[in-house]
Amino acid sequence: MEKKIAVYICTGCGIGDALDIDALSKVATGEYKVSICKTDGFLCGKDGVELIKKDIEGEGVNTIVIAGCSSRVNYDVFDFGPDKIVERTNLREQVAWCHPAGDEDTQMLAEDYLRMSLAKLKNVNLPEPYQVDDFSKAILVVGGGFTGLNAALESARAGYQTILVEKEAALGGYVGKMYKQVPLKAPFTELEENSIPALIKAVEEAGVKVYTSATIEKTAGAPGMFDVTINQNGSTVQERVGAIVLATGARPYDPGKLGHLGFGQYENVITQAMFEEMAAAGKLEAGKVAFIQCAGSRDKEHLPYCSAACCIESIKQALYVKENNPEANVYIYYKDIRSNGQYEHFYKKAQQEGVIFIKGDVTAITENDGTLTIEADDHTMGTKSEADEFDLVVLANGMVPAAAFGEMLDAAPAQDEAAAAADEPKVSVAPIIKSNMLNLEYRQGPELPSLKYGFPDSHYICFPYETRRTGIYAAGVVRAPMDMLSALEDATGAALKAIQCVEATARGQALHPRSGDMSYPEFNMTRCTQCKRCTEECPFGAINEDEKANPLPNPTRCRRCGTCMGACPERIISFKNYSVPMIGNMVKAIEVPEEIEEKPRILVFACENDAIPALDMAGINRLEYNPWVRIIPVRCLGSLNLIWINDAMARGFDGVLLMGCKHGDDYQCHFMKGSELAEYRLSKISETLNRLGLESERVRATTVNIMDYDKIPAMLDEFAKELEELGPNPMKDFQ
Amino acid sequence: MEQKNNQPVKYDLNFAREIYSLENGSYIKQCMQCGMCAISCATREIMDYSPRRLFNLIKLGKKDEVLEANTMWQCTSCCTCKARCPRGIPIIDVMHDLKKYAIQNGYSDDPRAAFYKAFWAEVASRGKVFEGGVTARYYLIRGLDELKKAFAMKDVGLNMLRHKRMPLLPPKKVKGLGNLKKIIRKAQELERKEAGR
Amino acid sequence: MANKSILVVGGGISGLTAAVEAAEVGYEVFIVEKNPYLGGRVTQINQYFPKLCPPNCGLEINFQRIKKNPKINFFTLAEVESISGQEGNFDVTVKVNPRYVNENCTGCNKCAEVCPVERSNAFNYGLDKTKAIYLPHEFAFPMKYVIDDQACKGAECGKCAGACEYNAIDLGMQAKTIKLNVGAIVWATGWNPYDANKLSYYGFGRYNNVITNVMMERLAAVNGPTKGKIVRPSDGKEIKSVAFIQCAGSRDENHLKACSSVCCLASLKQATYVREQYPDAEICIYYIDIRARGKYEDFFTKVQEEANITLIKGKAGEVKEDPSTGELIVIAEDQIAQKVIEKKFDLVVLATGMAPTTAEVKIPAEMDYDEDGFVVSGAQTPGIYAAGCVKNPLDVASAVRDATATALKAIQSTVRGQQ
Repeated sequence: MEKKIAVYICTGCGIGDALDIDALSKVATGEYKVSICKTDGFLCGKDGVELIKKDIEGEGVNTIVIAGCSSRVNYDVFDFGPDKIVERTNLREQVAWCHPAGDEDTQMLAEDYLRMSLAKLKNVNLPEPYQVDDFSKAILVVGGGFTGLNAALESARAGYQTILVEKEAALGGYVGKMYKQVPLKAPFTELEENSIPALIKAVEEAGVKVYTSATIEKTAGAPGMFDVTINQNGSTVQERVGAIVLATGARPYDPGKLGHLGFGQYENVITQAMFEEMAAAGKLEAGKVAFIQCAGSRDKEHLPYCSAACCIESIKQALYVKENNPEANVYIYYKDIRSNGQYEHFYKKAQQEGVIFIKGDVTAITENDGTLTIEADDHTMGTKSEADEFDLVVLANGMVPAAAFGEMLDAAPAQDEAAAAADEPKVSVAPIIKSNMLNLEYRQGPELPSLKYGFPDSHYICFPYETRRTGIYAAGVVRAPMDMLSALEDATGAALKAIQCVEATARGQALHPRSGDMSYPEFNMTRCTQCKRCTEECPFGAINEDEKANPLPNPTRCRRCGTCMGACPERIISFKNYSVPMIGNMVKAIEVPEEIEEKPRILVFACENDAIPALDMAGINRLEYNPWVRIIPVRCLGSLNLIWINDAMARGFDGVLLMGCKHGDDYQCHFMKGSELAEYRLSKISETLNRLGLESERVRATTVNIMDYDKIPAMLDEFAKELEELGPNPMKDFQ
Repeated sequence: MEQKNNQPVKYDLNFAREIYSLENGSYIKQCMQCGMCAISCATREIMDYSPRRLFNLIKLGKKDEVLEANTMWQCTSCCTCKARCPRGIPIIDVMHDLKKYAIQNGYSDDPRAAFYKAFWAEVASRGKVFEGGVTARYYLIRGLDELKKAFAMKDVGLNMLRHKRMPLLPPKKVKGLGNLKKIIRKAQELERKEAGR
Repeated sequence: MANKSILVVGGGISGLTAAVEAAEVGYEVFIVEKNPYLGGRVTQINQYFPKLCPPNCGLEINFQRIKKNPKINFFTLAEVESISGQEGNFDVTVKVNPRYVNENCTGCNKCAEVCPVERSNAFNYGLDKTKAIYLPHEFAFPMKYVIDDQACKGAECGKCAGACEYNAIDLGMQAKTIKLNVGAIVWATGWNPYDANKLSYYGFGRYNNVITNVMMERLAAVNGPTKGKIVRPSDGKEIKSVAFIQCAGSRDENHLKACSSVCCLASLKQATYVREQYPDAEICIYYIDIRARGKYEDFFTKVQEEANITLIKGKAGEVKEDPSTGELIVIAEDQIAQKVIEKKFDLVVLATGMAPTTAEVKIPAEMDYDEDGFVVSGAQTPGIYAAGCVKNPLDVASAVRDATATALKAIQSTVRGQQ
């Protein structure tokens, strides 16, 4: 598209008072030869917008620079359709509202921002959506237990072709073997019939294609075009699907490790699962039964986490005993009763039925004359206690995700080896366990990366279906410990996400968090040196490799963070509207005053999601900060290419600051490790800087979250002060 | 609870079942050991065990500790615990049940047990209460040693007489005392029936 | 032809999620929100457990998703008045209350500078004041001012209208009614903090230094009434000790019968707020059971390991005030030590639970509710689904999960409606 650029400068909201608008206009009309540059006192008002629309119609303007407020506001007012490029130059929140009016530095800042916008536009093009050939909207559900059956049913009921793969000969999984199930609805006091038979029937009626005794041998491809090889009883079938729900469940914690609770030693010490089978077989004659909670869970030696479901499952099982024989003696030994939410009613119901709850730690289980004796510390009595003549002791032995079984993938990417050798910082890699569930043909490993304890969970509170393998959604107890009600919701939610994935992919749009983004990375392969950085660093495993280590991008797996673009030393990866030259142009557009002017320049690369809104908030709160900074928003700090820093330092910038999200265990980066990667890359640049005779302290990274806006002024001022102490960048003189 | 010789306390559900079968006893099962009652109680400072701990002892099966405790006898029926119990246990009603159960099972060492008995006998025989009668019955139940205490209280008694707070002679019995007795007998019969159920 | 669009009532985290998730599948969505901004109660939360990350971060992403998606329409200051019709074809009447500020508002703050009237700031639970014309909070989306007509003097004053350079203030604005036709409805009106005034024994409302957990969030928030400094409301003094009282209303037959699910973790989290600002402060948590389910157990373990945090097994029974110092005395039975303890604190935080909004205002359609007023799951009126805390007391991640699931339920309704 031939760009016809027009610049509109808004003088409202204090911008006109703060700046010399005529001088600013001259940047557009003079330096950048923009033929249309208009000003308006109220650009977002009807007349202002009309002014722009008239130029679009009359003058053929298709590339519009709005120099006014932040792009976080008035996004709808300045939307002129998908065939127009709109660039927002933030003169309000980042200039007029946080710098003194009429000041020379404020003016220079505004002019630079306008230059940066205009320079940026040279490399911005309208994205064209990526289209897949032989596209499939079918949904594959792996695992035919309670969660899998529900996910398949919900997907089919929404009108999507659905395929269900179960490794056992029969559907139903763990829940299928239960005698009854916990209540899933109000009043949350009544045991419910096992729902599996009805679910299986509904799944069949809904037209779900079911493979039992089947495993996934291989999953190749990408969202919209996954080619799945299913091995059923030794013969293989190929299915093309658009998205996958992983619902492979959990296994009970190995009771063999619970010898201290008498398991394996005494026949009548059994697990929850064994008790379900007894109950289902009608063998509930035990007259005195104890349930021991947290048998393995909440125990550093075993499972440090709480298995979430055991309290209400034991309550249910205690009620089996009471239902069968109201005179039976039933004890539940617990740490805390975790009958969250409305399950409080279920807890009370069990109490009313006469189940005895003892807050205590079991210290010993012994057998005497064929019955079991339990010794415990009874906390609410403050005594040691003893109870004997138990016919049965049931261990609530918790759950371990199916994804946790298997060999750990030896990730050890090349960069780590080098880093380890040089004793440099490493970028953490999410562990992948070869659990033989999906067998993905992904360069980064065959299964979903796990988060903690082997659960391939989301790391985000706001986005529990955030996945590190686009189009593959874990649901139910394989994702996180949860009770059945949660698993039911989780199954439905994961089905929605799978459906959303195929629909968005069909439209050529990115998924969360850059939902709707049509741009995708394009590789100029002629210059590729097969360094593997892009394939290793992509947080979503989007890029495969051929045998010669050439990257093989899978655009539908891509989430458009630009980490590959930042990683590439040859700068061969670009998006239509986001590229190394685009940011490079912005860096170059900034005027760096000569040393004698004593106006240092600090370049800031700021994460769009957290740091940029925080900078806006500083403006909204009229917090004044250093006017030497020039801020460039980036999709993610992971997209930071070191050439920008090289360019900046070579141009005489006095310092560069990266503002990214928190990393570490509680990282906040929405592309997993963007800020961590940026810091890792920074560690590499210090050598280059030293070679140029520059102090490595001139370039540094900091973490900023969206609420840190009050800290930003001090952060920038301090950096500026330290740079002043270092003295001006000697490269200035070479300009 | 005192732990003797560091021997573990043994749970005994039989006693618990007996208590749970009392009129309001089954509510005790609902106790979730929060301790709200312990604080709501007006006489918490002089109770051996808070209601929560008493319920816990019941659960453990510690019959002697429960029935010898002063907890139920200290209850003034102020109703605060009952109003605040998050599990809706009618604690004062449970305390009444426990008092009765204690008396029926021979745990009446607490002076208030004697007072309850004296009060009851007085009402049953007269249809109303005569302070002198209650006092006399009380000390008779408590035994001769307690009589010394009665003499110590004589000034109080005399003062009450002087201020006409206590009649010297017993008042007339209520009309239709026979019917009242019939009612009581019937009620006791019903109670026995219920207990046997 | 049945309608494929979806109405989402409530623009909190559940409603936003249901709306955005459905819209990103490709469905047209209408959000009706009664506040002048989207985001609901999470906008008032300082940090989420267990990551201790700011809710505004996730909201920012969700708002970006809304901004970029033309299929999402929303109405603020709006309430659903009536619903008729059936699955696939509901007629809904929405009342949009006047904002008194029109779309011209640029958010420049000139109006608030001249406004002579103050009002109690509901966003900060009354802990401070705003002008009668105000921006609900600095992350408010949409970023438009609003007038509190209970406080505003109206045309007789009109100073704001005079100060506004953009003709954005319309003091005569009237409520209007909008009619929508949709295929399915998601009801996600969330929860209210249980009224602590009903827990007379804890002294809320009588003692200034007894606050609720939602107020604590505002006290700790950098955009809160104290700019994030946790101090005693009575005198603004720094605190040396704080007590958290769990189950203040929850798990209680006299109040909220259900467990509110989040309060244990919320208090553990708030303990970290205190610890961050006061390394030596004494922190006590009075509890019945600590319900840190699943992987939240890690957070519980981490907080327990902090020095000077004591967990006391025993529901606090009463709070008294020492009127001379403003200190509070919490009385509880320490069940592990087997004794009644009285301890003094500078601040008492009541972990008040979640009352579903439907305890007070029912859905204008045939729906079932449980004893606490939560909507019973499974639609009684096909095509209307409850999502989030109006159905179960849930933490944020679970509410989002539930809302995502509900989006599919709503989509299924519109698919059925087509048949």
